Amino acid sequence: MALATEYTPVFLPAQDSSRTEWLRDYNGGGGYRFAKAALAKQPSEVIDLVKDSGLRGRGGAGFPTGMKWSFLPKGAQPRYLCINADESEPGTCKDRPIMEQRPHLLLEGIMIALHAIESKQAFIYIRGEYYKGAEVLQKAVDELYAAGILGKNALGVQGREMHIVVHRGAGAYICGEETALLTSLEGYRGYPKLKPPFPAVSGLYGKPTIINNVETIATLPILFDKGVDWYKSFVHERSTGPRLFCISGHVKRPGVYELPMTVTLKELIYDYCGGVRNGHDLKFVIPGGSSVPWLLPNQIDHPMSMEGMAQAGSMLGSAGCMVMDHTVCPVWALANLSAFYKHESCGQCTPCREGASWLFKIVQRIENGGGVPSDMDLLAQIAGDGTPNTGQISGRSICALGDAAAWPVGSAIRQFRGEFEEHIRLKGCPYKNKRFWMDGGKFVNEAHPGKATVGAAAHH
Amino acid sequence: MTHAAPQGILDARIDEIEAICAKYPSRRSAMLPVLWMVQQQEGWISQAAMKEVAEVVGCTAAEVYEVVSFYTMFQQRPTGKYHIGLCKTLACAICGAFEASDYIASRYHIPPGGVSPDGRFSMEHVECIGACSEAPAMLVGPVLHGNLTPARINEILDHLS
Ligand SMILES: Cc1cc2nc3c(=O)[nH]c(=O)nc-3n(C[C@H](O)[C@H](O)[C@H](O)COP(=O)(O)O)c2cc1C
Ligand code: SF4
Ligand code: FES
Repeated sequence: MALATEYTPVFLPAQDSSRTEWLRDYNGGGGYRFAKAALAKQPSEVIDLVKDSGLRGRGGAGFPTGMKWSFLPKGAQPRYLCINADESEPGTCKDRPIMEQRPHLLLEGIMIALHAIESKQAFIYIRGEYYKGAEVLQKAVDELYAAGILGKNALGVQGREMHIVVHRGAGAYICGEETALLTSLEGYRGYPKLKPPFPAVSGLYGKPTIINNVETIATLPILFDKGVDWYKSFVHERSTGPRLFCISGHVKRPGVYELPMTVTLKELIYDYCGGVRNGHDLKFVIPGGSSVPWLLPNQIDHPMSMEGMAQAGSMLGSAGCMVMDHTVCPVWALANLSAFYKHESCGQCTPCREGASWLFKIVQRIENGGGVPSDMDLLAQIAGDGTPNTGQISGRSICALGDAAAWPVGSAIRQFRGEFEEHIRLKGCPYKNKRFWMDGGKFVNEAHPGKATVGAAAHH
Repeated sequence: MTHAAPQGILDARIDEIEAICAKYPSRRSAMLPVLWMVQQQEGWISQAAMKEVAEVVGCTAAEVYEVVSFYTMFQQRPTGKYHIGLCKTLACAICGAFEASDYIASRYHIPPGGVSPDGRFSMEHVECIGACSEAPAMLVGPVLHGNLTPARINEILDHLS
């Protein structure tokens, strides 16, 4: 088993992050040789290779990619590939560097996937806020048409037609949910649809459709380049291959770190990111995007794999890891996330629309000093205990956003019940001065729970 | 041309629009791309523009409105010349997003939900913009800026005229 410390990045090799690798430099100038190698194989052989690699989706749910592809009904045409580049789960910022810096890694992956699933047409659904990503991808696609790599005879293979369209969203988290992504791409409000039917059977324009995350698809050229055995040498239980971890919040060196999933959350925070900044103490960590359960400092000595995070009591999700130091009030943090879900609920299902809104109102009320003791029960009634199918939202809505809105509430209460009760008892937030303003890497004003603070942040 | 036959804002762009429509199996899929085209050209999307978009994608103006009102990036009112989308979600919030917001609003005289008197800036708080490891972060028009400090903000915004 290869060690995290011996790992050399292949998705994002050390380079100037403002630089884009264009076609002439891609693969050392060797062009799309891995897509060529894939096209020389039968589609079923490519699917078997992906199955063998153990690759699981990087969008959050971790579904085995090869298996997803094999659900397509045999022979049905046309069929589509949609790349989920909506990356909107708070804490997640790993697909953007791939698209901005290495667009051809994604595009070559798309051509390999198109071949594997026997499709001619891919759409990249990229969130509207990623102006640069969309511009870079469009230019890279134009390069491919100009070079004859895309088009009627893709890669010069007579009759093998392949097209890629870059499609921009316009600001809606819900469009990252796969069925909402499809309705949005069809030109409507991004409303999720009930499954089944699954998109593999009836997806875009009612045709069989595969939806995969950017990082998932960018893995494909790497599988051909380095080989499946290399890929599988990085393994923790059933989590194979390297992963892009996004670390944000109160660490000294936040960033996107490409590492095998054997790395523990503790090593990520302390060894790679330099630990908590300003000599502060770690308070809690949200390890896999905003919807996953919160972890306390004594729960972080687990590998950042799907299994490792499950053992820790959370989920790897999108591998977007937010780190909070002791100046962060957990009730205030929860109110922030609940505001997000309230805002992003598409409003189709009553439990999610009303539930997300009520959760926010109650948490906000507790934070602002208006909470009453029965609020704790009310929250538990609505949100459940942070596990699936508990409470009045989870399991009762069309898509998983409902669950995502409920889970953090249950988990925050489990971890910090005393602090919620303290807010209610004190009729206010004990973290008097929540100022986080940074200047030149230093807090202008530091907040300490319970302590009176000196002046307001000096920023006027 | 002497007098004002009512002129559509998309009249000069019909060829571009047809090229977009040709990329999709269904014309309706051109909805978001055409709305983006309008917003990039006009700065916002007016009722009149929605009518035109309805015509080119083949639906009613009400259906276009339904779409415009769903997506937060589509502006239904004119904004400042530089519209700031400042992230307020957790990773940014704990790294000074609200302090950055106060700083920007006061230094550039941006009223809540409005435009600065000189017409240069407007600002809204947005949800996570995928720059969490460079928090706090904001979009100024199409350009992303991270690791905001007072000095960085001055550097970014002061010279925009
Ligand atoms: C509310 C919600 C938001 C989601 N947002 C994203 C996203 O931004 N990017 C993404 O790749 N997957 C997102 N997903 C997961 C997708 O529905 C889907 O599982 C994924 O794109 C499949 O790709 P993968 O198998 O390669 O991971 C989201 C799911 C839900 C329920
Ligand atoms: S669960 Fe929420 S976001 Fe999902 S479809 Fe229902 S209302 Fe919309
Ligand atoms: S939380 Fe601000 S960019 Fe993600």
